Amino acid sequence: MNFRMSRIFGIDLGTTNSLIALMVGGIPHVIADPDSGDALLPSVVALAPDGAIAVGDRAIAIEPHLGDERDGRVGAAGSPGGEAGMVVRSVKRYMGLGGGELAPEDRHRYTFTDLAGPVVRFLVGKRVYTPPQISAEILKALKQRAEAALGSEKVERVVITVPAYFNDGQRQATKDAGRLAGLEVVRLVNEPTAASLAYGLHRMAEGKVAVYDFGGGTFDISILNIRGGVFEVLATNGDTHLGGDDIDRTVVDWMLREEPDSIRTDRLVWNSARWVAEEAKRRLSTFDSVGLRLDLADRHIEKTLSRAQFDQLVAALVDRTLECCRLALADAKLDRREVDAVVLVGGSTRIPLVRRRVGEFFGREPLCSLDPDQVVALGAAVQAGVLMGTQGDVLLLDVVPLSLGIETMGGVMERLIHRNTTIPASTTETFTTAVDNQTHVDIHVLQGERELAKDCRSLARFKLGPLQMQPAGMPRIEVTFLIDANGILNVTARDERTGREHSLDVKPSYGLTDEDIERMLEEAIDLGEQDLEQRLLITARNDADQILTALKKQLKDYAELVEVEERRRIDEYAARLEAARVGQDRELIARMVEELNEITTPFAGRIMDGAIKQALEKKSIEELS
Amino acid sequence: MVQCPSCARVQEPSLVCLRCGSPIAADLDLFAALSLPRKLQIDLPRLEQAYHDLGRRIHPDRFATSPLTLRDSSLRATATLTRAYRTLRDPVSRGLYWLELNGHKLAENNQRVPQDLAELVFEVQEQIAGLRVVRERQSAGAQELGAQVAAKRMDLQRALDELFDDLTALFARFDAAEGNHRDSLFAQLKSTLAKIAYMRTLIRDVDRELDSAKAA
Repeated sequence: MNFRMSRIFGIDLGTTNSLIALMVGGIPHVIADPDSGDALLPSVVALAPDGAIAVGDRAIAIEPHLGDERDGRVGAAGSPGGEAGMVVRSVKRYMGLGGGELAPEDRHRYTFTDLAGPVVRFLVGKRVYTPPQISAEILKALKQRAEAALGSEKVERVVITVPAYFNDGQRQATKDAGRLAGLEVVRLVNEPTAASLAYGLHRMAEGKVAVYDFGGGTFDISILNIRGGVFEVLATNGDTHLGGDDIDRTVVDWMLREEPDSIRTDRLVWNSARWVAEEAKRRLSTFDSVGLRLDLADRHIEKTLSRAQFDQLVAALVDRTLECCRLALADAKLDRREVDAVVLVGGSTRIPLVRRRVGEFFGREPLCSLDPDQVVALGAAVQAGVLMGTQGDVLLLDVVPLSLGIETMGGVMERLIHRNTTIPASTTETFTTAVDNQTHVDIHVLQGERELAKDCRSLARFKLGPLQMQPAGMPRIEVTFLIDANGILNVTARDERTGREHSLDVKPSYGLTDEDIERMLEEAIDLGEQDLEQRLLITARNDADQILTALKKQLKDYAELVEVEERRRIDEYAARLEAARVGQDRELIARMVEELNEITTPFAGRIMDGAIKQALEKKSIEELS
Repeated sequence: MVQCPSCARVQEPSLVCLRCGSPIAADLDLFAALSLPRKLQIDLPRLEQAYHDLGRRIHPDRFATSPLTLRDSSLRATATLTRAYRTLRDPVSRGLYWLELNGHKLAENNQRVPQDLAELVFEVQEQIAGLRVVRERQSAGAQELGAQVAAKRMDLQRALDELFDDLTALFARFDAAEGNHRDSLFAQLKSTLAKIAYMRTLIRDVDRELDSAKAA
């Protein structure tokens, strides 16, 4: 490698708070804001109609509340709190979802263009923002924070954590956010898995470990087997719409239950009530009873909430988390008594009721020696270390949380990769035509556990073809479904007879298309973009280096297998690639690599043939003797 | 034979290059993928060790910052490795794979009641049908009937355990057998695997019925 690789940072892109961390001397550290000293960046983004954006505390400062003197307040990024501005909280709840998939309570919180499309779009004045764009602002703020704290070092490559129970679309949206922030997302890591790395690295937890991750917006439970540096996820379960937000909402509902609809659905009332509820929740972790006060325009609401009452309000939510635990244990084929350690992750595990119920469920005292707000970010940094090669002995075996399959005749979901299969995972299916001269085959890919396709989540539709006109059943196309280490699906197709790659036209059912992202990137004039371009160029050059080195070796080892004319052509193409390699045009380099690959294919084939012949000869001699 | 895409070394089928350590996304049989001899008897701790050792060398975590081609072969090689491990770890899927590898196939809709277990099977089926009726009509006696079914479930489990013993014995005979004697072994393997599948389905049905009875 002819360049100095920058370090990889770990990012916890949370529903409520986000953090950035780094491995220093074999120990993960959260990078605090150099000015305020805060480790947590509130995942709050303020969007002004004029395009100004503020993130974190600056966004919270301009969040409109009841009784505020709005006019005089101007945020650092303009006045996003003004009439048509918007302050977005918990954008993670909208990532990768179509409008129809939103939780009912999330549908009315903000103004959207429409909720019919494959992507939710926030409408701010005349501007439109998708969830990945808003998340990208949080990522950019983290990047700036780390760069300010570290001085000369750039943040270019990151690991981002996602809830283990995130589906393909939600994962893709998270990667898109990274790309829009000008970052290379080297890996997505499941949050509970990251937490287990933070605990397991220093042997704070070993054996069968349950990670109970109850955060601001999502709940995950993962059961792992940790030993000898191997972190094997046995099963995971969860709910991507179950977290501290829901607890706050339950308290708000309780607080406003006697109010008319006009009050309960008012966004300003909601903002203020949510704040009061969150405060009350926090204080109830220490006090037995707290007072809540909400000032309306003409009067105020005053109530007292005891811890016993609060416990009652949220008991159903906690029950739901324990039901997920039961399912995960069943999938892991473990009895809850066989669990050696329980780790608590996420801010919601500070609630005494949660701790008590989890302790009772597993019959053991849960571990929380690492700060539940920071442990995921710390784990992300550990994973970044693994990817940089500095944690040599760690082997992380994660799983796909939801089954993946295709729609078959009669609208039935046929499972191809079962949930809790270790990733990367792949499977191949052969497709053919149903009628004569059929030129295309449609493949509908689904994710979920239900029997009928309509009850599962549509992931994408693939159009296979054009196929040669043939009688029905003659074409045999082998389609490979591969879930990568990020838990994201990749699909490739090839003709079984010719072995040729087949083209696939992909239509994701939800989320952004590549063109969407390209356009957003063009719109965002950002230095990060140039950095990304630079890295893509470096990657292309590396690819070129690899093929050139391998080719040189082959030409030396197997010189007798190349004809003179062929050799001349190969040299010519290799020289062209060498020339392109030192230039700046990465697409040209990629094209030259392709071309060189193609013209050397017959040569590579002869090497293989020769080797097989040799091996056969050797075998027959062995068999004779 | 496979060729390493990075250093061009040609070697026996393996998911990793023995010279430069690059992952090789080869289309291997699952025994070769784990560098194991083609034997049905497998020592599980050794299998796991082989999986972890190879996983440490070819996992995408090791090649996250490598050129695209290497990342891609690491991804595909690891997917093959994982499939090999999962398939060979479980004796039933190992047996089924053995059939596939040798060009045999288990009849797809083999729903015949295993003859030697017929008596037990019919008795259980009658009982769970009875339990269902009692539950639907909400009449008395559900508890008693439930207890009977639960007792029979233990018999079923015992029968299944014996079938697994048969499977283990068959694996040993396969590994010892020479070419000619294998044909009869394949027939036995198919029969045992079909019986196991049948008994597993039956036990699952019984469990479902017991759960519904408990919930009612």
